[in-house]
Parts: sequence; C-alpha cells; structure tokens
Amino acid sequence: MPLPFPRCRMAFFMLACWVALLAASCKSDPPPPPGDAGVDPLDCPSETTPVLSDNVSTCTALPTDYPGGGWPACISDSTLDEYKPINPSISTLARVAAFEQIADLLWRNQRIPSIEDFHSAREIYAQNEGLDSRVQRREDVHFDVLPDGKACNQIENPEKYPERCAGPAKILPILNDAFAKGMLGETPRIQARRIEAALLWFLYLSSLAEVQSCDTNKNNCDSAWAYYTGGTPRNAPVGLAKYVRELSEETHDRAYDAALAVRCWRDVDAADSATRPDLQNLALKQYDTALLRGISLTLRQKAAEWTCAHDEGLPARQAFVQTLFGLMEAGVVEQQPGRAEAFRNLKKRVDTPPADVALFDELISSIDEFMGELFACP
Amino acid sequence: MVRASNPSPTPERAQSTLRQADIEKRLPRSAPDALRFEPGVFVQQTAHAQGSAYIRGLTGQQTLLLFDGIRLNTSTYRQGPNQYFFLVDTAIIDSIEVVRGGGATAYGADALGGVLLVNPLRPSPREGVFPSLSLRGATADTEMGGRIQTHVSLGEKGRLLLGTGARRAGLLRSGGPIYSFVDGKPPAVPRFAEDGKTQLGTGFVENTADIRWEYAPSPNTLWTLASVGYWQSDAPRTDQCPPALARFDECLRYERQDRLLTYATWRHQTPKHAMHATLSWQHQYEQRRNDRPASFVLQRDKDSIETLGSSFTWTFPWRLGSLRVGADAYVDFIHSTSSLRFTDVGVERPLSRGQYVSGSSYVTSAAFASNQWEYKTLSLNTGLRLGWQYAYAPGETHSGSTAVNQSWWPWAAHVGAAWQLHPSLALLASVDRSFRAPNLDDLTARQRTGPGFQFENPHLKPETSSSAELGLRLRKNRLRAEVWGFATRLDGLLLRMPRGAEACPPQSPACLASNARYQLVNAQGASWLLGTEAMLRLSPLRPLSLQASLSWVWGDSPNPALQAASSSGPPAGPSSSPSSGPRRMPLSRVPPLHGTVEANWQFPFGLQLGGGFRWALRQTRLALNDFSDVRIPLGGTPGFAVVDLRASYRFKEKLLLALVLENVFNSAYRYHGSSINGPGRSLSFRVDLAAF
Repeated sequence: MPLPFPRCRMAFFMLACWVALLAASCKSDPPPPPGDAGVDPLDCPSETTPVLSDNVSTCTALPTDYPGGGWPACISDSTLDEYKPINPSISTLARVAAFEQIADLLWRNQRIPSIEDFHSAREIYAQNEGLDSRVQRREDVHFDVLPDGKACNQIENPEKYPERCAGPAKILPILNDAFAKGMLGETPRIQARRIEAALLWFLYLSSLAEVQSCDTNKNNCDSAWAYYTGGTPRNAPVGLAKYVRELSEETHDRAYDAALAVRCWRDVDAADSATRPDLQNLALKQYDTALLRGISLTLRQKAAEWTCAHDEGLPARQAFVQTLFGLMEAGVVEQQPGRAEAFRNLKKRVDTPPADVALFDELISSIDEFMGELFACP
Repeated sequence: MVRASNPSPTPERAQSTLRQADIEKRLPRSAPDALRFEPGVFVQQTAHAQGSAYIRGLTGQQTLLLFDGIRLNTSTYRQGPNQYFFLVDTAIIDSIEVVRGGGATAYGADALGGVLLVNPLRPSPREGVFPSLSLRGATADTEMGGRIQTHVSLGEKGRLLLGTGARRAGLLRSGGPIYSFVDGKPPAVPRFAEDGKTQLGTGFVENTADIRWEYAPSPNTLWTLASVGYWQSDAPRTDQCPPALARFDECLRYERQDRLLTYATWRHQTPKHAMHATLSWQHQYEQRRNDRPASFVLQRDKDSIETLGSSFTWTFPWRLGSLRVGADAYVDFIHSTSSLRFTDVGVERPLSRGQYVSGSSYVTSAAFASNQWEYKTLSLNTGLRLGWQYAYAPGETHSGSTAVNQSWWPWAAHVGAAWQLHPSLALLASVDRSFRAPNLDDLTARQRTGPGFQFENPHLKPETSSSAELGLRLRKNRLRAEVWGFATRLDGLLLRMPRGAEACPPQSPACLASNARYQLVNAQGASWLLGTEAMLRLSPLRPLSLQASLSWVWGDSPNPALQAASSSGPPAGPSSSPSSGPRRMPLSRVPPLHGTVEANWQFPFGLQLGGGFRWALRQTRLALNDFSDVRIPLGGTPGFAVVDLRASYRFKEKLLLALVLENVFNSAYRYHGSSINGPGRSLSFRVDLAAF
C-alpha cells in the first residue's frame, strides 16, 4: 500500500535503512579477536630467514656408535636407510601424526592460527590414547626412577619428583596453558610456539623413554624409532626428525643410526626380558646425544630468527626459546654441572631479553655459541 | 489363579532356581552376585557396579536375560561381560531361574550359553494395605540402602505393589591385591588406596522405583501393568578409573545408567488353554564420562536405546501332547552422541559419532512352536523357532562409519527327553541349536574394552551353537542330586581378532593410537565348549540342609591371530608373531574349575545359622586377547577359597534380621576376568520390617 506523504516515505525509508543497518550489524560476525586467522607473509619470509650454519667437520663418531665395529651383526645392518619394525603395528605413529596435524594447524605455513585452529588442535591433542595420554605419564630417563616402586602416575609424585616426572610436571602445564590461551584468542602465535617447543621436547623424551622400557617390552623399540621419525625411512622424516634433518643432515643420520642401534640391540638380545644392558646403554647414549643436539639446533635456529621476526612473531620465537630453555635446564644441570651456572645465566637473559638492539644481537650470538659448544657433535 | 511369570523350563533342562529366601540368607550385593552359588554360574565383575554371569562358559550378549518374560537384551549388549543384569534390583526379585545351555528355541535369540529368567515380586493376595521397610548395609564398601514398599489390595480383583529404594556404596575394601604366579606382580588394575586394600574406582549410587498393578476380572484372566525403574549414577568402571598406566585422577565412570521397563500383559488360562500377550517399552540410557582433570579434558558419551516389544503365546492340547505356539518382536532405536569438553575454557566440541551411530535400529523377531509329549515315564519336548533379525545403521562420513543394512533368517531347534528310569531317578538328554545374530554393538560400535580398542565389523554373520547334554537327576527323600555333561559346538563364533593400525576405520584416531586393537570376526571353524556340572542337596537331619555344586568348562576356538594373518592387514597381538602360534587357542575368560558348598541349620523359632564356601582353581588357559587384558594377571588368575558365615532370624512376615560375615579369612581373591577383587572380611546386614 503506498504511503500518503513523501516525508513519511522518506522517514520510513530512513527508518528501514537504520533497521537494516542494525540488523546487518547484529548479523555480522563479531570483529576477529586479535591474532585470529590470517596469513603472515612478512614474518621471516624465506629469503630473509637466517640459516643456521652447522659445522661438524671436527666431529668423529665414537667407536661404540652404531654402525661400527663395536656392534655385533644384526638385522639393522642390511638396510641402513630403513628401520625394520619388530611389530608392524605401531600405535606411536598415530601420536606423531597428531603432532604433524597440530603443526599444520598452529605453526606451519606462515599462518596465524585462529581460535578454531586451537580448538581443532587441542581436540587432536586430547584424543584417547593420543599425545595427552602420553604427556601425562612421560618420564625423563636421565633422572633416577622414583623410590619404593612409586610411579609418576600416582598422586603427588609429579610435584615431588618433577625432574623424573617431566611429562606431568613440566610439559603438561605448558601445553594446558598454551592451548587454553590460544582457544581464548590470546597471543596465538606465542601460544603456538610454546606448544611446538613443549611437544618437541616430549618427542625427544619419549624416544629415550621407549628405549629404556624396551628391555621388557620389545615393541617399545619400535616406538623409540617412531617417536623420532614418525615411522619413516631415513631420507623422508616427519616429526622431530624432520626438524633435525632440515638443520643438520649429519645429526639426523646419527639419530637414525641410533634408532637402528636400538633395533640391533633387541635383535641380538631377543629374549622377552633383555640381558644386554651394555648394548642398550650404548644405543641410548647415541640416541640421546644426537637428539639433544637436534633439539639444540632447533633452538638456535629459532633464536636466530628473532632478527627477522615482526610483531607477535618476535615474542613467539622468544616463547619457543624460553620454553625449551626451561625444559632443558634440569638435564643440563644434572649432566653438565660445570656448565650449569652459565646455562642459568643465559636462561635469565632469555627470559628477559633486552630491548637494546646491540644487546639483543649479542644475546642471540651467546645462545648460538653456548648451545654450539654444549652440543657440539651429534 | 493365573501364573504370572516366565515360561518354565521343560523338565529335561539343566536348571536351578534362586529364590528370595536364598537372597535373604546370602545378602548378595546385586542380582549377578546373587547367582554365585548357582551351579554352572561364574560371576565376573568389571566394576563394583557391574556383574555378568558366565553360564557354561558364555556371558553377556551370548546369554539371554528375561524379566517377567520380557526380553532385556538389546542390540547394544557388547561382547564379553556386561553390566546389564546388575540393573535388576534384588529387592524386587521373587526368583531367578537359571537355565543352562542353549535356549533360543523356547526363549529367543542370544541364548547360546543359557537364560536368566527373573520372576518379579507380585502384590500380596491379602486384603488391606501392607507397608514394609527394608534396610541393608555392608562394611566392605560402607554400603547403606533401603527400600519401602506397599502391597495394596484394590477390591477383590485388583492389587498393587509399589516400591522405591535407594542405595549408596563407597570404595570397596578387598582382602588385598592378588599376584601373578608367573612374575609375582599384581595386575595393573585396580589401583589401591594407601592401605593396600581399598580399591579405587569403585562405589556407586542407585535408586529404584517400581509399580505393579494386577487385575483379575475372572479367575482365568489376569491383566498386569507394571513399570520397573533403575537409575544408577556415579559408578566408575574400575579398570578405567584410572586406566592401567594413566594418572591417578583419570577416570571413566557411568555418570548415569538407567533402565525403565514398562509393560502390560494379558494372561488367560483355562484347564486346557493358556494365552499370554505382552506389550513392552524398555528405555535404556547410559551416560559415560571420562575425566582427565590434569588436562582439563572431559569426554562424555550418551547412548539411549528405546525398545518396543510385543509377544504372544498360546498353549493348547492336541493329539500329540501340549503345543505352544507364538511370536515375538522387539525393535531397538538408538541415539548416541559423544562430545569433548575442555573444562578450563568451557568449550564443548561434539564428536562426529558416539559409540554407536545415531539413528540405528534393530529388529529381533521370531515365530516359534514347541510341543511337550508325555508317555508313561517319558517326556519328550521338541521345538522350533524361526527368526528374522534386521540391523540398520546409517553411514557417517566424517568418522568413516560404514552403513549397515543387513537381515538374517536364523533358526533354532530343540529336542529333549526326560526318562524316569526309576521313581527317584531320571535320565535327561537334549540336543539344541541356538543362534545369535550380530547386534549393533558388534556391527557398528567403537569402544575401549579390557584388552584394547575394539572397532566395528559391518560384515559379521550370525553365530550358532549346537549342543548336546546328558544328565541324571536323583530325587529321593532328603536327597537331590544332579550331574550333567555337555558339549557345545559354536559355529561362526565372534572372536576378537588382533588388528594392525592399518585396519582401523578411517577417522578413528583412538584406534590408531591404541596399543592393542581388535575387531570382532566370525571364527573360521568350529569352537567348542565342553563341561560338566554336579549339584547335590542333602538334608541329613531335618533342620540341616547341605548344598554343593561343582562346575568345569573347557573351551577352545581357532586361533584368531592365524585368521588375521590370512586376512587383510597384519595382526597386532601382544607379543604375537603374525603368522605363528598354535592352531587353536582357549576361549576368552572361560571360568576355571569352581565349586560351592553351603550349609544351613534352621531352628524352629525362625533362626537360621549357616555358611557358604566358594572356591575356584587358577585359570591359566588364556585367549589371545586375554594377554593384553590388564584385568588378568600375567599367566592367569590365581585360585581362591572364600568362607562366609550367615545368620538370620525371621518372625513370620513381620521381621527379618539377617547378618553375613563375608570372607571370614579376609582372602585376597578375584573371579577370573574381573577388574575388582572380591570384598575383604566384612559384615553385611539386612533388616525387614512389615506391618503385616
């Protein structure tokens, strides 16, 4: 029905426009929270990303390293580029695959992770028998087992024995906090890098823990390999191995050799309960040295990237380095007591990086130098 | 008056009956617990609030539960032990008839191992209103509970029974851990409190309510309208609370577990004819909650099953005896969801599917006929059942769940004879064929089980049992004795086949990440159960009664690992070689040789004193999946012997006082395959007061 007066029509039109605008504003999505999904091409594009130069020319393999004369002939000798599983069905592969999925969602491909990405990533992380289930029980084999038959899955023990119970006591709180903050849209890149660092450390600890427990459960040797490589051949790694290989082929090779050493040990020592702790220890030592060096290279690389990072990319890399420093501290203090003080001093500086550019560059050099010395050879 | 109960077992069947009077003496914690002294029955418990009766080596979905003639089994009964018989309140049981051996012809699908027929309490025929109160408690789990009920007569033709009850049980204290006789270590579940005896992951709360109205418009006709409700809450699954290697605070618990059975029956009985029709609706609901508080993760699964049922039977005489014909049909409708909640940020994410696929349905139907023919000292019973079963489940893309649209026409038959060799001695023999079609749990469920993760197999076929049994029954004065031998061949038996990760259905990360994965498959080749049972009841002196039973079952099947090796995908058996191992293996969780002895002295003024003795030998015959079952100690379950002392006093219908000192020697013991150890030394009591 036509309206009687033009003024009324105008008023009606304006009212309609206002209602439409209001409705549109009601319907439209709320403004994206800070750090919601988007591409971040300026944050360390590949042409400006510093590339870590790794020099292992002065390093030589130990005579006890695998493959070497100190090892008996075994199943690993025939195919050094591929691990031969004891049981082809390895549940650990699913957890490394979950790590890869989380990586794609949160920190790979120069994406700024959205709240939804964090939701999806945490859902993957929390799957039954998934990463979370193992983080909750992961022990750091560098430290003594709990006394009187106690275990880290018992009440109060993670708090009483945080070094041995590294998973529940140290890694889990970081992951919980980072996932929660990410799901609330708080500093997504920072939280993503904290998750990355914590999970990398978990993969490292897990590889070693599985070597240790393989003495009574042979299938765990496969898990030791799978936690590092994601169940892949030497030249196509995923997970932690991919990180290491991208930064140092030699370090990756030594780590892969160590996985083969583990398999070799359980080939030679095939009883349900192992009887050759000497071989187990050799393999474990080789694995530990190579993996720790690989982790340290990742840390050095992330520290180096501070120079090209922008906006939240800078504190994100700091968060990565700070997180790994925090997780490594107990081990360095325990195993390298002579370097403990220097490590702690450096950690303090990492925790509160200077604003001054010159001092900042000096800190990056110090990290690179210190880590390079501490973990000189794979 | 018209009889209102399940159809009675024919005389040649191996069967025993548990009565409310036995429950008053034994003070069991649950309906399954009440069966511990029945011959041929072995009760496994996965949790404090669960219990599953093994009858002739089979349990769960391979035994049939009937309540007042109505089928309780739904299409979500899983393989192995389940908790559903626990959801029958012992306070409303008048009697339980245990029929051992295949019984599909007379009672319906699934009755491969046996049938449990629950006959509920009926309203008192006396005029008036009679309220009563019953209280019970036990020290081992600090249990306290009670029930009030009222019998009301509504004129000459109508009567009513109303009741409601509640019970709360705390952590269950055992006699201590049991230890493997191989490595001397206790099994990984359950975990114990600091006292080393109190079992974590135990306790529950239950509420019950029931109403039964009976109306007899004539002496030959009876209408019954009844509703029986059971609501359980806060009941941890002991082997998952916490799981074997998980943190102390991780717990899978049944947040809610409900059953509401409502039904109407019509019975008409004349000296020659008997007709019986039933309409029923069963609502079964489960809400499981898996807490991982250290990670602020809570997974919640909800499954509801609505079952509509109907049955009709007509018994009439004819030239060749008494013929019973009938038909029954039950239809299940499934709704199943699952969600993941992150409690620190209050975010809940629905998962693509629940344990079952929502929208699934299942039909169990059959027509049957049986005949009882008697000639002098011979009673010959024959029967035939033709079934039609249909399973439907929609596909689910995201989880990679395959659609199911299958139907089967299984059949069952029974021929049995009781020959009275002598007035006191009868020779009993029967041959039976029973069936069980795969249900929705077998075809579609994804779930954590004791041995590992089990995923669906939409291509399963029915399993059948063909059995022969022979028995002798002696009844003379104060002596009753029975001895039975049976052999059961199981074809297409569902076995848990170890599977590799690559066999996991798409989008099933929990399957991929599990250390052990299984899929149900039909065994290629016959499986066997052989066994004997003996029962003796003796009253050497008038006030003294003695009862003893002895049961032995031996079961084996083709090795599922070899079957896995010949099918797609390598197996992932615990420490098993993919293509090696014995050709045949023991069936899973078959009970060891076990027995019971009971004695009771009845004084003339209402006092009874007695005791019970249960024992079992160690069970070392383990199936492949038993090796990865954390409930079973390495090498098998140790044997045990447990003594109970009992005292009760009854003054007419007005008062009952009952006491049981359970496990007098505080033995640490476990029924094979259970997650929990039996209660330690404890006192149970029951007090009934009635205004009769």
